[in-house]
Amino acid sequence: MNIVMRLAWRNLWRHQRRTWLTVGAMMFANTLLVFMISMQFSMYGLMIENTLKLFTGHMQIQAPGYKDDQKMRQTVADIVPLAASLRAEFPDEKIAARGQAFALASSEDRSYGIGIFGVEPEFEPQVSSIPGLIKEGRYVRGKNATEIVVGAVLARNLRVGIGDELTLLGSGLDGSFAAAVVTIVGIFDSGVVDVDRNIAQIPLGAFQDIFFMDGAGHQVVISAPTLDAAAAVLPKIVAAMPPGSDLVVHDWDALQPGLKQAIKADMSSAFFMYGILVILVAFSVLNTQLMSVLERTHEFGIVMSLGLKPGQLGRLVMLETTLLGLIGFVLGAIGGVLLTSYFGVNGLSIPGMEEMAANFNLPTRVYLEATPLSVVIGPSVVFLFTLLAAAYPALRLYKLHPVEAMRTN
Amino acid sequence: MRMLPVLTRLAWRYLWRNHRRTIIMVSAISIGVWAMIFMTALSRGMVDQMIEDGVSALPGHVQVHNKQFLDDPSVSNRILISDAELSRTFDSADFKAWASRVKVPAVISSEYESRGVTLLGIDPVAERAFGYLSYDEVEGRFLEGVDDNSIVIGRKLADKLETNVGKRVVLMSQDPENEIADRGFRVVGLFNSDVPGYEDGNVFVGKKAAQKMLRIGDTTTELVFLGDSYRNVEPTYDRVVASIDGTLDVKRWYEVATYLGSLLKVMDGFVMIWMIVIFLALSFGLVNTLVMAVFERVREIGLMLALGMKPSHILGQIIIESMLLLSVGLAIGNVLSWATIQPLRGGIDISIVAQGMEMMGAASVLYPRLYVSDMILANVIVLSLGFLASLSPAWRASRYEPVEAITKVG
Amino acid sequence: MAAVRCVDLCKTYRQGDQDIKALDHVSIEIEPGGFVCLSAPSGGGKTTLLNAIGGLDMPDSGEVWVADRRIDQLSKGALAELRLSSIGFVFQAYNLIPVLTARENIEFVMQVQGVPAAERAKKSMAILEEVGLKGLEDRRPAEMSGGQQQRVAVARAIVSRPALVLADEPTANLDSKTSDELMTLFTELNEHHNTTFVIATHDQRVMGYAKRLIRMLDGRIVDDIEQHAA
Repeated sequence: MNIVMRLAWRNLWRHQRRTWLTVGAMMFANTLLVFMISMQFSMYGLMIENTLKLFTGHMQIQAPGYKDDQKMRQTVADIVPLAASLRAEFPDEKIAARGQAFALASSEDRSYGIGIFGVEPEFEPQVSSIPGLIKEGRYVRGKNATEIVVGAVLARNLRVGIGDELTLLGSGLDGSFAAAVVTIVGIFDSGVVDVDRNIAQIPLGAFQDIFFMDGAGHQVVISAPTLDAAAAVLPKIVAAMPPGSDLVVHDWDALQPGLKQAIKADMSSAFFMYGILVILVAFSVLNTQLMSVLERTHEFGIVMSLGLKPGQLGRLVMLETTLLGLIGFVLGAIGGVLLTSYFGVNGLSIPGMEEMAANFNLPTRVYLEATPLSVVIGPSVVFLFTLLAAAYPALRLYKLHPVEAMRTN
Repeated sequence: MRMLPVLTRLAWRYLWRNHRRTIIMVSAISIGVWAMIFMTALSRGMVDQMIEDGVSALPGHVQVHNKQFLDDPSVSNRILISDAELSRTFDSADFKAWASRVKVPAVISSEYESRGVTLLGIDPVAERAFGYLSYDEVEGRFLEGVDDNSIVIGRKLADKLETNVGKRVVLMSQDPENEIADRGFRVVGLFNSDVPGYEDGNVFVGKKAAQKMLRIGDTTTELVFLGDSYRNVEPTYDRVVASIDGTLDVKRWYEVATYLGSLLKVMDGFVMIWMIVIFLALSFGLVNTLVMAVFERVREIGLMLALGMKPSHILGQIIIESMLLLSVGLAIGNVLSWATIQPLRGGIDISIVAQGMEMMGAASVLYPRLYVSDMILANVIVLSLGFLASLSPAWRASRYEPVEAITKVG
Repeated sequence: MAAVRCVDLCKTYRQGDQDIKALDHVSIEIEPGGFVCLSAPSGGGKTTLLNAIGGLDMPDSGEVWVADRRIDQLSKGALAELRLSSIGFVFQAYNLIPVLTARENIEFVMQVQGVPAAERAKKSMAILEEVGLKGLEDRRPAEMSGGQQQRVAVARAIVSRPALVLADEPTANLDSKTSDELMTLFTELNEHHNTTFVIATHDQRVMGYAKRLIRMLDGRIVDDIEQHAA
């Protein structure tokens, strides 16, 4: 350790309590920032993953306009062969075709209007979590079987169970009257009330028969191994669209525009709060370093009269601040990682938040994960502002006159 | 108490002896207090609006249903009391507003499309006071009475159904015997709504027309009551419970819309935590300032002790100094927050993230709400926790031995 | 009745790894109206003795009596009361409260005692005049010379007419002319009000004013002479 370094280090510990209090402010902010940012990243990841996994997938091929209007006749023609050819071309991606219609579902006691989805039973489980959420019975099988799986809330409202029959009434693609009787083979429970109340699934072949689809469907759902991979594969999917077709490929952001915006809104309010924390810490550092410079005026006067330049003293003050900031950085990051890891192992559940969590497809207990980015980002900003705060006391040294300084006590 | 003026004067003068330090600390406190109140006002504004919109869309502060209805919303689970009898019970009772209505799930079809909706058979005159729709802003016209055989639907729904004012649509639901009940209606009006999902999911017809279609005579499925404020529903709730058949299910708004209810609680918790976090961030600087202030006048403290001042007076002096420091910061912080919130009362446009806000159930214009109670809370938190934080340095100051303190080279 | 009586006082300090005997079986008695100088080289024990008499410091053993009251076993609060009511202190330089004006410094003790404002004002103005500081009452210590500051300190010590005034090196930071003025003031107060003065000093000039001179060395009294003031 060279002499300047040693000097800075010793100066730092002249007022132990003050130094620890300043480090404490940094630690507090850093620990909180690491924890909060890790929590946000974890929550956002889960929100996106859970929302997309449930039903939406990473991207969908649709007819133009279908995304907003979801009209029956905005179809993707020959949807099963299209999905099959894409599957052959993109072995890494999971691909499944769907049809969607609206129908009145009647049991013996009740009738409700619901969304009927025609699905490919062998491929649907790869793009959606619903087939895995069957809590009673089994998922639909085969291409044309007149079987149906319904949400748990819908089953309760319709007063039906496994083996019961449902009558579906709706209109077909050509506007004609569509009707069918299907047998309930499974009941799923996603925990999302809207989904469990309003959705039922039947094999795509049967769907096309019932609603006179003539081989058409409404959406080809595509899931990539990761979100990043999805972004990379999107242009290739677009290029693979049949020549002359007007089909469009929507990414998840277009399909769930609320998701990114909810995250954005949450982020902007979070960043406001973090900003305030950082500023308060910066004030703490400013105060400490200004005091430490002012109380050493006499001493600085002496060393200046010995020939030290104000710039050198300024660097000394900045070096002290850097050491101070590094201690706060390291201790705060460690504190934040420990806190986050605790909730990574035990999970975090905020009482009263269950309803809000469900609104964003979040489980009631969230297991947090600290990533290098989430650990470093907050403390780095604090560190930067710490140095910035010390600039004023350091610059004051340029105004110091050795003789006057020595006279101060 | 006798010493209070002396100690206060000493504390105040000492506060400004090192004015740079005090100014820095006062700035930090002001910014902290401003952030406490400003952020709270924004959050309150958002949540209040979500709740107010949500409560007005429910509608009402208290709702009555058949016990099975909320879980199984079918006409079979309707309220078996005739409208005539309900009128006798409630018309004379002094509610701000009340209404009986038919509310069942239904399917609406145009010649092109079908959608699931909630069919509302209402008395437009009785429900005007609930304020979920501004009748005058309806494109075309709103329903004119209970006998109105027309239908009013949302603008967005009309687009999806490719229908419009003057065209016909068919409503389909079930009667109490689970027979399909359907009927054609002519669209006379299209409404817009700020409440997310409201335009897509609700259609209005005259109450009598709905009762006739569903073959339920003059019974209804839902009673709604309006009290003075959504924050104070108990009086309304008690009176409804007292005057109605005990087998019916009477619920406060936050029991019907549990999401909104939990939102209100979460919000209160958030405000508290946010204020405490800010205070903690400030507390390090506060304690540091006091420690420094004590440190640089150890000799003077010793002198005061030697002259006969009691240790408790020293303790009091440091605490008063801390309280003065906090009070100056609080005063500036309060004024600052008021001055920044006031110009924003017209609303902050956050439509860039409108769909995200919709996901949370909020609108795209944010109106900050500055509550006196929140301001008081911020001030109380800062002063009371500030008092606690000052105890340690103040106690240490009061424990100095006069001789050691005086002989200590400053 | 003695104004001050010390019996067999002992006090040992640790400094580094050495034990220093600041008071080594010291016994003295000072009559009311006495004007006593304690003189000793640095570390000779005079400040320790003065502090013990003023109740600022506890002896390890022995007894301290002030006006027939044993004070070495009193609580901190009782000692504070005692200092407030019957002992005046004059310390070395820097012994004023810097944020208070001359008059506020003088009134400070009375305020702690609970003297009503009107009486405080009357007394403080009178005492300011007596010590020759009329017109400087609203200055803060930083705006006064060393001699003026020390006069304020004296004024503060005597304003409530204590029977006993303890002064520790009161002239340490003063030039010779100012020192003489201060000592003349002490002498006058001693004669007019019969106030007992105990002054610790190693200033020869100060010793010249004393009626009784006690010399100490290594915590012991080595010499105790009555002398006639110049």
